[in-house]
Amino acid sequence: MSTNKAPLTSIIEDTQTLWGAGRKSMGCLFCRRIFLVPHSSTESVCPICGRGQLETQPVRMRSAMPELILPFQIRETQLRSIYDAFVTGVWIKPEDFTTEALLTRTRAIYWPLWLVDCDVTGHWQMEAGFDYQVESTKEAYINGQWTSRKQIEDRIRWEPRLGELTTHVNNIPVPALEEHQNREQMTGGYPYDQAEPFSLQQLDQTLLEVPDLPPTEAWPMAIPRINKEVGEICAQAAGAGHHRNFAVKADYHKLHWTQFLLPIYATHYLDDEGQAQVLIVNGVTGRIQGPRLASPKRGLRIAGILGAVAGGLFLLALIGFLLIALFPPAGLIAAFLVVLGVGMGIAAIALAVWPGNWNRKQAGPRIVSRGQANENH
Amino acid sequence: MVEQPIQKESWERPQGFIQTDSRVSGIIVYAPQKAAPQNDQTISYACPNCGANVAYDVAAGGVACEYCGYTAPVKAKSLGRSAESFEFTLETISQSNRGWGIERQVMHCDSCGAELSIPQGALSTSCPFCASNQVNLTVSLEELLRPRTLVPFKITPEGTQRIAAEWLGKGWFHPDELSANAILRRFTGIYLPFWTFDARIRASWRAQVGYERTERHYNAHEKRWETRTSIDWRWEDGEVDLEVDDHLVSGSDPARISHTILSKLLPFNLHDLVPYHPDYLAGWQAQAYERTLTEAWEVGKAAIREEAKNACYQDIPTHHVRNFSMTADFSDESWRYILLPIYLTAYKYEDQVYQIMVNGQTGTIAGQKPVAWWKVWLAIAAILAPGTLLILIGLPLILLGGVGLIPLVLGIILFVVGLVFSVILFNKARQSEAK
Repeated sequence: MSTNKAPLTSIIEDTQTLWGAGRKSMGCLFCRRIFLVPHSSTESVCPICGRGQLETQPVRMRSAMPELILPFQIRETQLRSIYDAFVTGVWIKPEDFTTEALLTRTRAIYWPLWLVDCDVTGHWQMEAGFDYQVESTKEAYINGQWTSRKQIEDRIRWEPRLGELTTHVNNIPVPALEEHQNREQMTGGYPYDQAEPFSLQQLDQTLLEVPDLPPTEAWPMAIPRINKEVGEICAQAAGAGHHRNFAVKADYHKLHWTQFLLPIYATHYLDDEGQAQVLIVNGVTGRIQGPRLASPKRGLRIAGILGAVAGGLFLLALIGFLLIALFPPAGLIAAFLVVLGVGMGIAAIALAVWPGNWNRKQAGPRIVSRGQANENH
Repeated sequence: MVEQPIQKESWERPQGFIQTDSRVSGIIVYAPQKAAPQNDQTISYACPNCGANVAYDVAAGGVACEYCGYTAPVKAKSLGRSAESFEFTLETISQSNRGWGIERQVMHCDSCGAELSIPQGALSTSCPFCASNQVNLTVSLEELLRPRTLVPFKITPEGTQRIAAEWLGKGWFHPDELSANAILRRFTGIYLPFWTFDARIRASWRAQVGYERTERHYNAHEKRWETRTSIDWRWEDGEVDLEVDDHLVSGSDPARISHTILSKLLPFNLHDLVPYHPDYLAGWQAQAYERTLTEAWEVGKAAIREEAKNACYQDIPTHHVRNFSMTADFSDESWRYILLPIYLTAYKYEDQVYQIMVNGQTGTIAGQKPVAWWKVWLAIAAILAPGTLLILIGLPLILLGGVGLIPLVLGIILFVVGLVFSVILFNKARQSEAK
């Protein structure tokens, strides 16, 4: 499709006949994500937020099939080792945070991305950076003698450049999901060059996440990305190794939108509060990302046991000290019990505090759904 | 969202930009227009009123005609120390080593058409046929290794004569005829080439530093308490940051111009730096550099690193230092090529050539003065005579068993003191002649 207009979307009531794929559209009541799931699927919980119920609903989407797909390279059998490594890193973890639980809830999903091609005409300006080298020196004074060593340093000379352009850009990635940036941070990079033409057979039982940013809404995000690529082309034309303060005033013609599907595995575990903590695995690289929480409740429980034991030891020690007059070696035993009690007390405090500290350090990208955001507000 | 193609607004290339090579088809690239490399053309200076020759007049601060009184001030803003400086790029270093200016040896006189042969490196001259003043250096922004700034003359030739007459008249051991007008009239105002260097230096030193310790101890032999001082040696290190601003190195050949005398003319006030303009050179001599940038930088670096070494020593809290070592990391090195005003004269006295220089900006004078050695020897003889005389009187008196000890001791003291004064006088006289 090559046009100056972005492709339009429409409300599709019944997706079963769409593309001949036999899929139904289901939306999460909590996070409002919409998926195309196999008609036979009994999916009931949102595979990404892990909180909301999935219900069949109409969907607003482009009626054309996706054009490109990046197939899964990580098989479900490989997930066990990925989860094992992830789970093992936490010492006092929630009871539900186990490899088995994660495997049970794992869902394979394709998430969408737009690729935009277009012609660009206009004029541009930038500060072009050209590499050059300068000679510096390091002098050393040892044993009354000076020795000199020359050093070559690389520097950049900035010069203004401007001009006109008539060019074409290809495959500029543009978000198809509002949470694109967050999703990208969680999954890391994908080898886009391994993309294949889309075919229905590749979907199998995999869920398909529907774009919540149709091309018309994604276009404002596409412009800076296209301009960035144009900046690279202009810098290349000027023979510059670097550029900054690029500005372009351009017209964009012959837009072509391609829907590109990227593979992930989504799973979740329940924390102490029973909240779903979502983990995302890149379907190509195997990178796993998500909150890796410890269990403060279990920490407190163990700390309580150790504290009680420590208290008992102190009590015995006190009795031992009282018996010194009758049985002098009792003092020695009492002292030992005090030391043991202090050790256990310290261990109890550490165990009570550690999970909270650990959880605070678990900053990093995580799935935030609109529902959750609303809740926070 | 683009519903329809936006009509491309008319766009015009800004002034001062020209189209340059593009490595991608469909992209037109414009770059700032650089000043075209200029072939040096000789500029002849003639008065627009009366046609007489004009020259830069220090008092008028511009080109002036001594016949009709015409003056035209040089339109140049003072740059001072903000004058542009340049980095040591590999390209510049390579250019510097190839040299510049010293190849130009022919100047064309626009006034009479004569082809003038000029000394190596000369930037200006007067035509011997029509006496017009010529400057063959136009300003080009493209070539870095041309003087772009200079400090104009502030001292007039008349002022220089007064300074020199006063200086030559000083000192009794010089020939009386030195202050003769013949020498004073020979002063030539010349712009000499100088390199200025800026750099930041981070100097790291390490040394054994000695701390004096006073302790009391009992001297069993003398049976009393005594105080003695010993030194505790400790390895220490430190860092010193140094910023060098406008370190001056002469660009002239030391074989032709005495750098010893030149160094005595410093400092110059570089706040008076102005952009190079040929008018400043009209009627004055000017010399291009003979010592290349890299050669001058080696000289400058040697001085700067010594400065850094002294700064490190000052960082050490005591004067007991041994096994001192240091490194000096240079960064942000930059240079400028400037012309500085000097009045120069050379004269012969008893087959010896002597140079005198006057700082054309500040009036500081330095140079060689011949010595009338007979005056020096006479003075030394007079200084040593009293002591010698007393010794000669004292010795026979002692031999005769008289009171000769007092004059002898007094004579020896006077002789020794006289000897010291004589050595100082001799050295001073020798330095006066030193090149």
